[in-house]
Amino acid sequence: MTVKWILHWTPTPGSVVNSQILSEISQCVESFVNAVKDGRWKATLTFYRPNLRDQSIPSEFPRDFLGISLLEQPNKYYFIIRGNKIILEADSTILTIMEKLQSYKSKVALNFEGVQYKMGDFQMKVVKVVPNQGESLRGILIEIEYLPISSIEKAKPIMEEFLEVWREVMSKKSLPGHFTQTEPHFADYKLPDNYTSQHTAIQYAAALAQLIQSAQLRG
Amino acid sequence: MAHYAQSKVYESTNEGSKFSLLGCEALKTAQMQQQSQQAPPPHSTSTPPPAPPSSTGGSAAEAPPKQVALAMDKLGEAERIIADIRIGADRVLEALFVAASQPRHGTKPLQLFLKEDACMRRYLQDLRSLGKELEESGVLSESVRSRKDFWGLHMPLVCPDGAMVAYAWKRQLAGQAGASAVDRTRLALKAFTDQKRRFFPHLDYGLETNESASKKRCGSVESTVDPKEESSILKMLPDVLNYPSSNKLRLGSLGTVATEKVAVIEMLVPSTFRVVISLHPAGSTDPDAVAFFAPEESGSYVHARGFSVHHVFRHITDYAATALQYFLGNQVESSLYCLLHWICSYQTLFSRPCSKCSRLLAADKQSAFLLPPVLRPYWQFSLSKILSTISSKDHTSDITPAYHVGCFSEEL
Repeated sequence: MTVKWILHWTPTPGSVVNSQILSEISQCVESFVNAVKDGRWKATLTFYRPNLRDQSIPSEFPRDFLGISLLEQPNKYYFIIRGNKIILEADSTILTIMEKLQSYKSKVALNFEGVQYKMGDFQMKVVKVVPNQGESLRGILIEIEYLPISSIEKAKPIMEEFLEVWREVMSKKSLPGHFTQTEPHFADYKLPDNYTSQHTAIQYAAALAQLIQSAQLRG
Repeated sequence: MAHYAQSKVYESTNEGSKFSLLGCEALKTAQMQQQSQQAPPPHSTSTPPPAPPSSTGGSAAEAPPKQVALAMDKLGEAERIIADIRIGADRVLEALFVAASQPRHGTKPLQLFLKEDACMRRYLQDLRSLGKELEESGVLSESVRSRKDFWGLHMPLVCPDGAMVAYAWKRQLAGQAGASAVDRTRLALKAFTDQKRRFFPHLDYGLETNESASKKRCGSVESTVDPKEESSILKMLPDVLNYPSSNKLRLGSLGTVATEKVAVIEMLVPSTFRVVISLHPAGSTDPDAVAFFAPEESGSYVHARGFSVHHVFRHITDYAATALQYFLGNQVESSLYCLLHWICSYQTLFSRPCSKCSRLLAADKQSAFLLPPVLRPYWQFSLSKILSTISSKDHTSDITPAYHVGCFSEEL
């Protein structure tokens, strides 16, 4: 699988994330390097909370138990416990099992809706983060992909330079904010150098965690 | 980051090639054994044969596709019996060892040995009778080859060198351009390694597989070269090129079976690229076409005249065609050698910045796509220069400059 880097939009303190910024960013991508719109993309992320009868028991259950589904893997579902750096790739029928077991309840569900652009050997997605019920924009992510390489190490120099070029283009627009990359720490999750959908799931979880954190900081 | 160059042959999807060479040799031994002995009438085989009871006349009465299928089944049985024999041999030796090391433990080791011995005899007998059946149905000999029925089918054939094909005509095709790259590559590499082993036994530079050769005979030969050895293998090529005294080596002219000649060379630099080179005529050292692909690319277009889906590799393939013409024109004797060295300089494709603008990515003038430096000058590669670089023992530094397409034309 080809290597992807995911970055999240960090607005400058005092400004908000709104749909205008989203359209500006999309325009940037469209005019960047002869980009061609290539389709839509979707992923979902769900926060789970243990379903305890006695709520007063101090929870020894993980607080950050996430479930992610990706468009490119329709038959798979990914579980992540960020605190313990665990990722599990399961069949999508696990959702039926969870429903039957009723041991975990879905607390919050978010949708990632993206538009994909193709520019030569690179691909970019502009992704907006919206809650499952509702239309309010919670965050913006971009995903960069270099198609010829599947090794994370090998792709690093190329991706870094692409990011530099992208940041130059973005700076011309002088938008209130910038894109930051969360260090995904794949090795902590014991993942190999060859990129897979598990890596994607971890990156999205990390990016979302950062988004939430920065949103909380802004108050 | 260690760089490994790997030449790899795909396991053919052809059913026939899954039989080990060893198995076929054992089968032939069984056939020869039964010819030399006055073989007693075969016992009933331990596994019921799928053919009807009268094996001699029965096969002729069935439709050819069924004959072929039966023959394949029997070969599968033969393989199982051979596997049993191998395990049985181990057990016999073990029993002998036990008996020898514990002489005071009575008759128990002896019983064990007798039991294993009886098993082995039974297996060998089964194999003999199976071999007889196969011989009768024409699998082991070439006599049936000429008898083509109106289906156009031939019996599966075990060739003299032990390779197995489900249909004999496929061997013919495989030598021609019409065959799939998989077949050609497999046969090419097999022929090359066989003949290299036969005629250059002193050149054993570790090109052989790391595991014991018997384990990897199923039509797939894999060799991994580590960086220290890579130069020694490339050193070997001038020897090959200068043998015997004429400057051109024609592998096919060394008097061996001519149906297999090296026709395609494939080189993989892990995580970076895969390159396919075709030689023409087969068996010579004249490269004919070269193409670059991403390591994960697969499909019928991955051959020496195909094009990758990725822009970076398309550019390199185009440029490689020019380089190839240069090597064929200017470095006539060692064109393949220089070409391979030049290709090796692309190991740094995704890490070495352009020697002119010092950046890794630059926009292509025509398409505006961002590409790494895809041009590496080829005229610096001549036989004498390469040999002097190797002999200077400086393997780690690769000083070949790299250029973006745009940067290069300005340089000129």
